[in-house]
Amino acid sequence: MYEIRFHGRGGQGAVMAAQTLADAAVRSGFQAQAFPYFGAERRGAPVEAYARIDTSRIRTKSQVYRPHLVVIMDASLVELVDPTAGLRPGGKVVMNTTHRPEEVDLGAGVDAECGTVDASSIALEALKMPVVNTAMLGAIARVWDVVPMGAIVEAIEDRFGSKLGHRAGILNAEAARMAYDATAVGRTIGHREFAKERRWMPVWDEIPISVSLKKTVHDEEEVGPATTWQHRTGRWKWSTPLYKKERCIKCLRCWWSCPDAAIVRQDDDYMRWDLEYCKGCGICAEVCPVDAIRMVPEEEGGNP
Amino acid sequence: MRSMKDVPREDILTHGHGACPGCGYAVTAKNIAKMLGPNTVVYVPASCLVVFGALYPYSAWKTPYLFTAFENTGAVTTGIKAALRRRHIDATVVGMAGDGGTFDIGLQALSGAAERNEDIIYVCLDNEAYMNTGIQRSSATPFGAWTTTTPAGLEVKGNRRFKKDIARIVADHDVPYVATLSVAHFTDFVRKVQKAKEMRGFRFLHCLTPCIPGWRIEPSKGVSINRLAVETGMWTLYEVENGVPRVTYKPKVMAPVTEYLKLQGRFKHMGEADVRTLQAWLCEKWRANYGEEAPSPPCVLPPKEEVLAHDGDTLYGI
Amino acid sequence: MAVKTITGDQAVAYGAMLARAEVVPGFPITPQTIIIEQISEFINDGLMDADFIPAESEHSVMSVAIGASAGGVRTFTATSSQGLALMYEMLFAAAPIRLPVVMAVANRSLGAASGIWTEHNDSVPVRESGWLQVYVESNQEALDMTIQAFRIAEDRRVMLPIMVCLDGFILSHVVEGVDIPEQAVVDRFLPKFSPVNVLDPRDPVMMNPVTPPEFATEMRYQQDRAVEAARVAIAEADEEFAALTGRRYGGLFESYRMDDAEYALAGLGTWAGIAREAVDQLRSEGKKAGLIKLRYMRPFPGQELRQATLNLKSLGTFDRSAAFNGYGPLFTEVRNALYGSGIMVTDHIAGIGGRDITVETVRDMYDIVERSARGEQVRDCTWHTLRGEMQ
Repeated sequence: MYEIRFHGRGGQGAVMAAQTLADAAVRSGFQAQAFPYFGAERRGAPVEAYARIDTSRIRTKSQVYRPHLVVIMDASLVELVDPTAGLRPGGKVVMNTTHRPEEVDLGAGVDAECGTVDASSIALEALKMPVVNTAMLGAIARVWDVVPMGAIVEAIEDRFGSKLGHRAGILNAEAARMAYDATAVGRTIGHREFAKERRWMPVWDEIPISVSLKKTVHDEEEVGPATTWQHRTGRWKWSTPLYKKERCIKCLRCWWSCPDAAIVRQDDDYMRWDLEYCKGCGICAEVCPVDAIRMVPEEEGGNP
Repeated sequence: MRSMKDVPREDILTHGHGACPGCGYAVTAKNIAKMLGPNTVVYVPASCLVVFGALYPYSAWKTPYLFTAFENTGAVTTGIKAALRRRHIDATVVGMAGDGGTFDIGLQALSGAAERNEDIIYVCLDNEAYMNTGIQRSSATPFGAWTTTTPAGLEVKGNRRFKKDIARIVADHDVPYVATLSVAHFTDFVRKVQKAKEMRGFRFLHCLTPCIPGWRIEPSKGVSINRLAVETGMWTLYEVENGVPRVTYKPKVMAPVTEYLKLQGRFKHMGEADVRTLQAWLCEKWRANYGEEAPSPPCVLPPKEEVLAHDGDTLYGI
Repeated sequence: MAVKTITGDQAVAYGAMLARAEVVPGFPITPQTIIIEQISEFINDGLMDADFIPAESEHSVMSVAIGASAGGVRTFTATSSQGLALMYEMLFAAAPIRLPVVMAVANRSLGAASGIWTEHNDSVPVRESGWLQVYVESNQEALDMTIQAFRIAEDRRVMLPIMVCLDGFILSHVVEGVDIPEQAVVDRFLPKFSPVNVLDPRDPVMMNPVTPPEFATEMRYQQDRAVEAARVAIAEADEEFAALTGRRYGGLFESYRMDDAEYALAGLGTWAGIAREAVDQLRSEGKKAGLIKLRYMRPFPGQELRQATLNLKSLGTFDRSAAFNGYGPLFTEVRNALYGSGIMVTDHIAGIGGRDITVETVRDMYDIVERSARGEQVRDCTWHTLRGEMQ
């Protein structure tokens, strides 16, 4: 049996990717299953999806802890989660990044065959949207020979076609082909030590009763009211605001309109962006009456 | 507080929460929470807000916070307020529910609390469908909209029902204050929240809150699209204070509804006939709300009644 | 101490008043309605300092109760049957949030094939909600247990909501002479409400956000242990109440003529009073019959029952509802507790949908239990007073 784990962000189609892979496996004569980590998937939040492929009936339905194949749909996830956790010896990695396999560092102890592809660009080109799932499926076929590319293309055309329309099926299959061709295959060897994320995992008689918490510090983690500051949601963004203070008329509309309270109103009523929490929605740029704010691609960087 | 300038800097719904980029709930809840301030107890029923605002062990809320179920915002807030009152604690109790938890499953508890004139602020964050469960229609879903339970199929294209007028229903309970809000109409919004904050008794704030994935709009449009909602008549800004209704903002020009529809994927399948139906409904709503004939275009003037005969009776005044 | 001739419902209302409940949401449903009517009278006559909130359905009643308890005040309500079912969802919220709401349930048939008459299929099925449950035999006990319920629920070791169950009509609408304790006595027994977590802006608490799998198991186990901890609080409450009033109920259950009993029956509610009659008759005929008047369904006194039945040859359980597994629910719990003890356990279903239970009916139950003690083959589940042959 093969176990595959997808790491993506809500809205990137990780679940559909897993389902399509399972579909392609079934078309190739396998038994297969696919399912997400059940949580409320919000756009941008890290999500996991799983698939299992086998020649005989698959009975287990637990999460995948020891994958044969890890699919990383967004390079920034490497900072947030440990995507290769449990990767079996000989297991493979497929990653959406502009870097080559040799340049990718997934953490000390990682030594795996790896395919990299700039799926985001391919998706934007083929689909005009940065939904990378079908491109990733093409990259998977390039690195992992269990499910043939032909079956993957067929599954994409069928599933995406029936959900989104015939043209969408064709275009998505094209994205997969483009990614297949563009995937660089090599080896990734990790070196860096990721800071172990401290999480409060209390035993049963340590947990305050009533499913209730006041603001407290446990194991270097703050829990209770007003503690979401520990979630740097700014890592979600793929475009970032650029502020031209000299044009700003201090109308306060951007500060008012930011859904994430990521714009800090200074004492003098000019603004400062807290890019650790800005999700890059672009509302501030849209509501600014004097074009003092412009959204630029994340790599170009915003100003603090 | 009279304008944005007066709104406090301190955030009550803090950053780091899990809302989608551009979320209308998040902007609106953030601003209302700021204005109500820290001397507030917040109740949130099942909704997007309950999922992105707090997930054990973290909460984005600075204030005390409670969640239990879906349909009981009017009831739980009643209980909380009763307790605070008996303990001589003068704090605002606010419930922030979605349209599903207000118009449909929450209607009974809402009506009960309104009828008893409970001393709470009930905020309805209306994104016009059950978004948290994946975009299913509610009785707040506009005519023609795509949702997963009113899909644009081969035979039936989108929602066939018209939006329920919840604010009017609540106003008919003779409560002290009912208002409709749009976070894009800043001063109007601030004024109304301020009023609600000062008053006592049951106060209902109905806010239009766009949903990026549910409306299929660009994230950057999450606030500004409300302006078009008002310009087209899809949303009307008014308040009913102690039974007296008053429009608080009337657009100078009525924008044709197509201007609003074309920005949203949830309407893109609508055929001409359905657009005409929706436009006609809006024109009627315009007349009812603003007390004047809806402008033409985009509305059609009622045909002038032709008088063909007169029997000489001067009472007819012709 | 004043003795008044009052119904079970009124007795409960006196209990709530003496316990100084501060917020009482309520909704009418027979046969509980008199409770909220009486409380409304107490309030409007200035005898009870509380807010009666006429919620618009029972689901809202429990929601209001949760809000009020979370807001830090002593909260009481009452319901029956359909009302309890309507608030089902909220029962499962009150318990994990550890809100010590006290609710009287006037047991009444739930669902179809019934009406307003007594049955236990409303409260017994929700024994898995996390609420404590106590069942009473008389109007006096109804009043006394309403008071004790607050003490047990609010105990810091417990902090759980509790249902005080009384048979609908048989207690709720029947008058008996009831001793009304003095307010001063109750005040000595019941300390001021001191909650653990309160919604108060001066000390913000995040209460019951959506909880992921990483924490739920531990929280549920914690809750399970709290139910167990209630045993001690129950015993202490019984002792102290007895010291103040002279009335003692035995805690988790009462053993009646069990010392040298060879066979016995165990059951909840007013049935126990009829069973006492039956036992006395049997004893006067030389038979060694005994009775376990079970009081608490939760915590379920499994270990204690094993102890109390050590010398029995057979035990019958009285079920006033069907579990549709071939037996009633109490049988399932009791037999589980007595597993491996070697005691023959039989089930006796009666009183369904309000059908009257007489001493004769109960003697029939004892007859079967006696025969099983002698080693005779008997049905393991008998539906008493059924017209027609059981299969």
